[in-house]
Amino acid sequence: MKQFSTILKFELKSYFQKKVFIGVTIFLVLLIAVVMFSPQIFQMFSENDTESNESKPVMVVVASVSENTEIIKQSFSEAFTNYDVHISKESLDEVKNQITSQKVECAFVLNSLTSYDYYVNNLSLYDTNTQIADEVLQNIYRMDEMMKNGIPVESVQQIFDTGIEHNTTSLGKNQMQNFFYTYIMIFALYMVILLYGQMVATNVASEKSSRAMELLITSAKPVSMMFGKVIASCLAGLIQLVAVFGSAYLFYNLNKTYWEGNQIIESIFNMPLELLVYMIVFFILGFFVYAFLYGAIGSTVSKLEDINTSVMPLTFLFVIAFVVVVFSMTSGSVDNILMFICSYIPFTSPMAMFTRIAMSTVPIYEIIISIVILIASVIGIGVISAKIYRVGVLLYGTTPKISSLLKAIKKA
Amino acid sequence: MELELRNLQKNFGQKEVLKGISFSTEGGKAFGLLGRNGAGKTTSIRIIMGVFPADSGEVLIDGKPIDYNKIQIGYLPEERGLYPKKKIIDQLVYFALLKNMDYKSAVKSVDYWLNRLGMSEYRNKRLDTLSKGNQQKIQLITTLAHDPQIIILDEPFSGLDPVNAMVLKDVVKEQISKGKIVLFSSHQMNYIEEFCDKIAILNGGKVVLQGELYDIKRNYVRDKLIVRSENADRIVKELGKCCSLTDTGEVKIQLSSEEEKQNMMKILTEKYDIDEIKVFEPSLNDIFVEYAGNQG
Repeated sequence: MKQFSTILKFELKSYFQKKVFIGVTIFLVLLIAVVMFSPQIFQMFSENDTESNESKPVMVVVASVSENTEIIKQSFSEAFTNYDVHISKESLDEVKNQITSQKVECAFVLNSLTSYDYYVNNLSLYDTNTQIADEVLQNIYRMDEMMKNGIPVESVQQIFDTGIEHNTTSLGKNQMQNFFYTYIMIFALYMVILLYGQMVATNVASEKSSRAMELLITSAKPVSMMFGKVIASCLAGLIQLVAVFGSAYLFYNLNKTYWEGNQIIESIFNMPLELLVYMIVFFILGFFVYAFLYGAIGSTVSKLEDINTSVMPLTFLFVIAFVVVVFSMTSGSVDNILMFICSYIPFTSPMAMFTRIAMSTVPIYEIIISIVILIASVIGIGVISAKIYRVGVLLYGTTPKISSLLKAIKKA
Repeated sequence: MELELRNLQKNFGQKEVLKGISFSTEGGKAFGLLGRNGAGKTTSIRIIMGVFPADSGEVLIDGKPIDYNKIQIGYLPEERGLYPKKKIIDQLVYFALLKNMDYKSAVKSVDYWLNRLGMSEYRNKRLDTLSKGNQQKIQLITTLAHDPQIIILDEPFSGLDPVNAMVLKDVVKEQISKGKIVLFSSHQMNYIEEFCDKIAILNGGKVVLQGELYDIKRNYVRDKLIVRSENADRIVKELGKCCSLTDTGEVKIQLSSEEEKQNMMKILTEKYDIDEIKVFEPSLNDIFVEYAGNQG
């Protein structure tokens, strides 16, 4: 036990002495600070700016056909608030020239109220101007026709202004709200497990390749070494997560007033506390499953160069789990059969079950079963990994085959 | 204190690495464990240290199975290596702590050894800033800092310059005089001859020769003479087949039996101008080549 705590302290200390570890943590905290303070910063700048239309791009509407120029100008201005809308009677060629010389960004040339040509210099992938224009013109046309048919202007106005009221009540969970924080947490889970898991593998392999292992293996028990390393990197990962999320929470509270009305940000920081607890539970268990295996794989490698190819299958497994989860999340059905199965397999359940808990309603017994399976797997994988480790660290030369490794483990 | 290995056997898969190794050594003496690469030295050492158990056989201290909680072992592996990127004091204290020392005495002991080996100025440097010889000295501290009762040194002199070799010799002699069990494994026979009272030569997982070095040499058949003479060429010519010239220009004469020794000496001194005649005693190197030469 004393050995274990010595190793744990030593390993943890070496994480905190790593410049990369400190650098990345500080960078992330700063990045979050910039994002969180951004509305305040923007506001400071925009207060200095006098409101002007100069910066807005110019949109020209050529409406030579209609007598409704006023209505058209008004409607287009209202619909395209990002543009400085001009009504013009210029010829088509002139307008085209203005567009190519970039004085004007785009132009609608109305043939009638129900037909127009749209001119733009570079058509963007996200250009929705024509859809908006369709709607605007449709309304003008309808009003026009209604008024022609003798309906009084007030009634027409009223008919068009009628809005529909609706209320949505979600009896389970609201995926609109929890999508973002689930996504962020799953991504954090993914990054930390992958990064720190691979660090465990590299750590073991470099001890082996620097031959410090010769001395270590004669000084400490393999089990203490394995557990010391894995738990140290788990703690390092957790501390980094806490630093990043903690500072995000702090910065959010400092800027709370500026973020009011931003549903995404508000939903992220109003996530239920119990979810945070689940996150930590699944993080720790999931981390152990992978870190033990990464450690075991690291111990079978003699040269640091070989480590990438050796850990690939495991990394692949984890990436697939991530893809399945994210795909299910974005498709909106987190309770599909694949996710259901994945939430019981120890390699995928940390992410899959967590996503289901966050985004849908999972009966408590399912959660318990999943966690129990995970705990049992952690213990099993831990024991097997320590055995592989014990055999692996003394093997030099080519990376052993799985079959010969299994034989050696049986003997150990 | 006495360390005894009794009939150790070990297989790795199909490969029989140790086929019944037995030897014993006591405190205050150095024991030389010799053998070619792959003879089973490192495996024996690892079994002594409890890295893995033997398939059969025992490691005994004073007749009882070794208790690793009581007996501390210091090991200098042949493949040297520590943490290249870590501060020297940090890793030395770490290894001492792993050997069950408490923090205070670990720091104290490490500082003592750094001072003793003239390495105090590197205390807070990273290991990879040191020369190879100095890294060796740091490694030696990991072997000795926890004051072990058994010290196992695998090729301790490789890579050391003559001055550092002297320092190491002094340290080893001091440890022996403190009554510790010192186990040497080396291919540099001159060092073994200098330190070790007893040796065992391993070949193909078996002990092919063991005992007091002095006895081994004395028991060798004394049927060869070494002659130093101005007339070396003439002697070889006239005595014929039984003679040969050595690399150093001496004549080596193979006798038909030990008893013929006196007779032959007489003939030689009467007939030729002789500077020196002696009975050939094999060096450890010769003994090693004879016993470990053909790997079985």
